[in-house]
Amino acid sequence: MTALAQTRSWEPFAWPLLTAALLLLLWHFGVRQSGTDVFPSPLEVQRGTAELIRGDLLWRYIGDSLRRVAAGYLAAASVGIPCGLLLGWYPAAAQVANPVIQMLRPISPIAWIPVAIVLFGISDLAAIYLIFLAAFFPIVVSTMDGVRNVPSMYRRAGRNFGLSPAGLIARVILPAALPRMLVGLRIALGIAWLVVVAAEMIASDSGLGYLVIDARNSGKRYDLVVAAMLMIGLTGLAMDLAFRQAEKLKSIRWGFRDAH
Amino acid sequence: MPIRRRALLGAIGWTGLISGLHGYLNVSWPAVLNGYLPEEKRKFNVAYIPVTCHLACPVTDYISKFSEAGEIFLPRMFQGFPEIKEALIANKMQAAFIVAPLAIALRSQGVPIKVVYLGHRYGSAVVVHKDGPVKTFPDLRGKVVAIPSRFSDERLILFRAMKVFGIAPAEIRLVEMAPPDVAGALAAKAIDAFSMGEPFPSQAEMGGYGRVLFHAREYWPDYMSCVLVVQEDLIKRRPDAVQILVDGVARSGLWLEQGQKYRENAADFVGRFYYNQKPALLQWALTKPLTRVMYSPLAPRKADFDMVRDLMIETGVLDQKIEFEEYTDLQFSDRASIQTAWKYEPGTSSAQ
Repeated sequence: MTALAQTRSWEPFAWPLLTAALLLLLWHFGVRQSGTDVFPSPLEVQRGTAELIRGDLLWRYIGDSLRRVAAGYLAAASVGIPCGLLLGWYPAAAQVANPVIQMLRPISPIAWIPVAIVLFGISDLAAIYLIFLAAFFPIVVSTMDGVRNVPSMYRRAGRNFGLSPAGLIARVILPAALPRMLVGLRIALGIAWLVVVAAEMIASDSGLGYLVIDARNSGKRYDLVVAAMLMIGLTGLAMDLAFRQAEKLKSIRWGFRDAH
Repeated sequence: MPIRRRALLGAIGWTGLISGLHGYLNVSWPAVLNGYLPEEKRKFNVAYIPVTCHLACPVTDYISKFSEAGEIFLPRMFQGFPEIKEALIANKMQAAFIVAPLAIALRSQGVPIKVVYLGHRYGSAVVVHKDGPVKTFPDLRGKVVAIPSRFSDERLILFRAMKVFGIAPAEIRLVEMAPPDVAGALAAKAIDAFSMGEPFPSQAEMGGYGRVLFHAREYWPDYMSCVLVVQEDLIKRRPDAVQILVDGVARSGLWLEQGQKYRENAADFVGRFYYNQKPALLQWALTKPLTRVMYSPLAPRKADFDMVRDLMIETGVLDQKIEFEEYTDLQFSDRASIQTAWKYEPGTSSAQ
């Protein structure tokens, strides 16, 4: 199948489902072949998930994780986008701040856990802070790049039409930088969700990350560990699909070559 | 030299250098080579974490190195109980020091391990902020208290104290934390108190920010927390090796009970060579007073374990009654009872 081939309407669903089914089979037979009594089979995981649903825990945990990620991510976006705009607009400021940003960016959120505990104690805020940190840097960097790469012709045209600096940012720079920013925002959302396990290690008492830690601590419940991992994956997939829908909006569609 | 050859030589040199450094710095060669020995000569791995409840493990290893027979086992340090539990389930560790309720829970979940000996008696405490609002145990109502694991005796002593004061379990919030993190969390006021094994109560006392609210023995007279568990197949295949291990631990316990001098020496070598903690900290935990942690008598007793099991069922971490005989094997502790302390004087290089 090449990129140019016409896809039939059933294909976008059938192929991924087939892949998933094959992986499940591989997993099932892999567990049976190896004879392990530690790693759970898909059926055991399904039973574990059913147990979580019966106990009314699953939806509550997914909801709590989403709430923490949303809070951290929105905070990161509302601080990161203005910072990125500023740094993109003033190259001198970027020169000053960039080394610091690039230095802080690769530090794993897990390394921040002791700092988060010292700053916020054992509370939701500490988890939200970790998610904020993870999402903040990709947003700043992509916004900064987006603004920097706006062709100078657009700026000049905007000025010639008599736009004030604020008007220029709102009506020219922001829309022009939006496609690139959106890529950064999507990556940041993925990272924010990725960090949820580490964030909920800080003595939370709910959430999918907590479920992984809690199931691990409760002896031999690896079915629940894997169930939580699968739920994290599926929720991440759903979030990514939702975000891709946003990219189809008219105001940003122009930035993507293959959008029709 | 052509550039391609230079690049190739550089790449080979670099790979050689980092492999050499990795082999020198990171790889535990005795452990790697041990895997290639014939089975009857192979030493087994004993897991422990850096708490004084497990002190007999490094003490036995250190002293036995000076003895004629040489070291008995390979000590492997972990940082928390979940990791030890996983290594036991995967049969990567043949023996381990773990908290008694975890041993009971694992056995009831079908992990083939048996308790053969205790690690210590006493030596756990509940610590609060030095000048904080918590003056008595009932002041902990509504507060956050850190425990090492839901399967720990440190959690159970809190429940025993709650019973005395008529406090409901829901009134105190318990959070599970890795033992090495709690003193820092208390200093940062992230938690209101913690219930842990030594040397973490001592660390908070020495640091000047913690105060012992009570020692475990105040609510649990014959308190025991960590036990030595061994894989069942090892007991079947190599009972003699398990006996040597238990004898070694028993002898170390008696050696530690000989007085101040021996405890100070243990604090020194365990802190420097095993736990990577300041010897002064271990010295505080082991000598202020000398009865703060005790290493004898260590034979498992049915009454102690029945009490732990019943408390576990009562507090919801065990769902079925399991009998003492199912998860213990007393043959080794019975034979170890005739052992005497190591003949090892601090500073010398021979032991018997």
